[in-house]
Amino acid sequence: MMSFDFFIQLFELSWKSLRANAFRSFLTTLGIIIGATTIIVVVALGEGAKKDIEAQYSNMSVTTILINAPSTAGVKSKLSVDDIPLVKTISTVADAVPMLTGKVNMTANNTTVNFSVVGTYDDFAKVANLNLVSGNFFAQEDEDNHTKVVILGATVAEELYGTRDPKVIGETIVLGEKEFEIIGVAEYKGGAFGPITIDESVFTPYSSSYRYVLGKNGKFSFNVNATSVDTLSETMTSISSVLRESHNLGAADTDDFKLKDMGATVASAQSSSQTMALLLGSVGFIVLLVGGIGIMNIMYVTVSERTKEIGIRKAIGAKDAFILTQFLFEAFILTSVGFIVGTLISFLVYYLLMSTGFKIVFVWWSVPLSFVITFTVGMFFGFLPAKKAASLDPINALRFE
Amino acid sequence: MDKRLFLKIKMDRQVIFLENIKKSYFIGIEEFPILKGIDLSIKVGEFVALMGPSGSGKSTLLNIIGALDKPTEGVYRVQDKLVSSLSSDQLAEIRNKYIGFIFQNFNLIPTLSSLENVSLPSFYSGSQNLDKAKSLLKMVGLEDQWKKKPNELSGGQRQRVAIARSLVNDPEFILADEPTGNLDSKTGKEIMDLILSLKKDYKKTILMVTHDPHLADLADRIIYLKDGRITSKKSI
Repeated sequence: MMSFDFFIQLFELSWKSLRANAFRSFLTTLGIIIGATTIIVVVALGEGAKKDIEAQYSNMSVTTILINAPSTAGVKSKLSVDDIPLVKTISTVADAVPMLTGKVNMTANNTTVNFSVVGTYDDFAKVANLNLVSGNFFAQEDEDNHTKVVILGATVAEELYGTRDPKVIGETIVLGEKEFEIIGVAEYKGGAFGPITIDESVFTPYSSSYRYVLGKNGKFSFNVNATSVDTLSETMTSISSVLRESHNLGAADTDDFKLKDMGATVASAQSSSQTMALLLGSVGFIVLLVGGIGIMNIMYVTVSERTKEIGIRKAIGAKDAFILTQFLFEAFILTSVGFIVGTLISFLVYYLLMSTGFKIVFVWWSVPLSFVITFTVGMFFGFLPAKKAASLDPINALRFE
Repeated sequence: MDKRLFLKIKMDRQVIFLENIKKSYFIGIEEFPILKGIDLSIKVGEFVALMGPSGSGKSTLLNIIGALDKPTEGVYRVQDKLVSSLSSDQLAEIRNKYIGFIFQNFNLIPTLSSLENVSLPSFYSGSQNLDKAKSLLKMVGLEDQWKKKPNELSGGQRQRVAIARSLVNDPEFILADEPTGNLDSKTGKEIMDLILSLKKDYKKTILMVTHDPHLADLADRIIYLKDGRITSKKSI
């Protein structure tokens, strides 16, 4: 009975009814459009935030412990580069590198930029997993001799020379007031390493940075890697006691240093980004729910306005199922149009946000997800008014004016 | 069998057959009888007028004959179909295939064109018959107006569309409920001529409700309804 042809004709019929009231149909579907858009955009934003966090911590190993002076004012920290050899004596410590950092003006190629100078040890390249596009990292002798040599981060190189791979080995750069020789250019890394952003830094031997550039103005911290995740807490306890002893702290004194377990930081950042995604996702769902209620509302109005028409259709032989199907088709068309338009708009919003530098990453499954939720909501809320239309009594409906 | 006798039986076949039809409404436990036992039969090709004052149960009887409502008691048959015992979906099928409705206020669907309105019953019976609908529009003199929607047509034209619609599924009989009630007398006469031609030229069985004795006089037979009973039948 309900052949393919029949559905085509029913589709035409529903389409006509919707077109007869085009503006209202548009308003009805607006909620669905916004809902469908929101879901896709929200998933992309969530994914963007997740990727962003991953990038930020991509250079961190979960075994990393960051040690710095507490930011509390008035506490004089004795934390210094002299602590490094002591920390290195702990058996569960794999590496320990100091970082003396500070922002300075750097001039080369007639260009002056302001980026971080990082004074560190030769181990840093290994600890931060840093590769060079040209030249070499400095060596232990450079530390011992306070050589004025520097490795450029990728962004610094790009800002100064317009390329991430300039042929500038052997050339000089002025850091603060002193000339340094460029001996290497680092590969682009993306993301941060503890307190520093690798690409936006230049690296010099620790002693050179202290002596010629930063002095006491440099912020000191150091990075320790434990041998494994299992020994992490044990390592932290050991570092604490070694530092307390070397800083001559009595039992009543508080720590003049801070330990930060990067693994825990990464985990908490990831979970907060997931919470955010979930929150945004619920917003999308609620928008759709409201859109669905909008469909239901307008369809109820439509059904009561068209009571007479329904009566006529029933009088000339439309069965309940036909009326039900026709109104469901109308809900289906509204939902489909809402979904398609919403998806297109979401792509527009996506490119708009991306071009303004938003961290946003399109995820293919957000489209089927939006499809399933949109249609579930649309058809569910379309069903109740359709059911009401189908069960109208033809005699009363015919008499309706 | 005698061929003439056979023909006579065929001609005498009843399209509509009502026996002791009663209909009551209940408010609480109180019973309000509207129809108090109607016996009526209409033969193939007959044109019957139904008259009666308001409150006589005319509308209720019309609803039952139109398969829009079910009697409380009694037997109603259309041809060999026992309508009084059908489900609501089966009633819809009877309305669709056996009965052609012509209403006082035309009852066309405003969003559909004339052609779509005429073909709608055939759509509900499974296959939209546009060719048939076109030829019926031609028969009622509206072949040029097939694209127009009801609000672009005059009252008389609308009723012509409705008449064409009532015929699209070749119904067993036509139920006309004051078909000229909303028309001026000139247009009313034209519509009445068209209805009469359905009987004369197309051998249709027609049951027409009317208040107008002059129109009723055009019928083969007049049935008067009063207080839920048929009071008299007049044959011409």
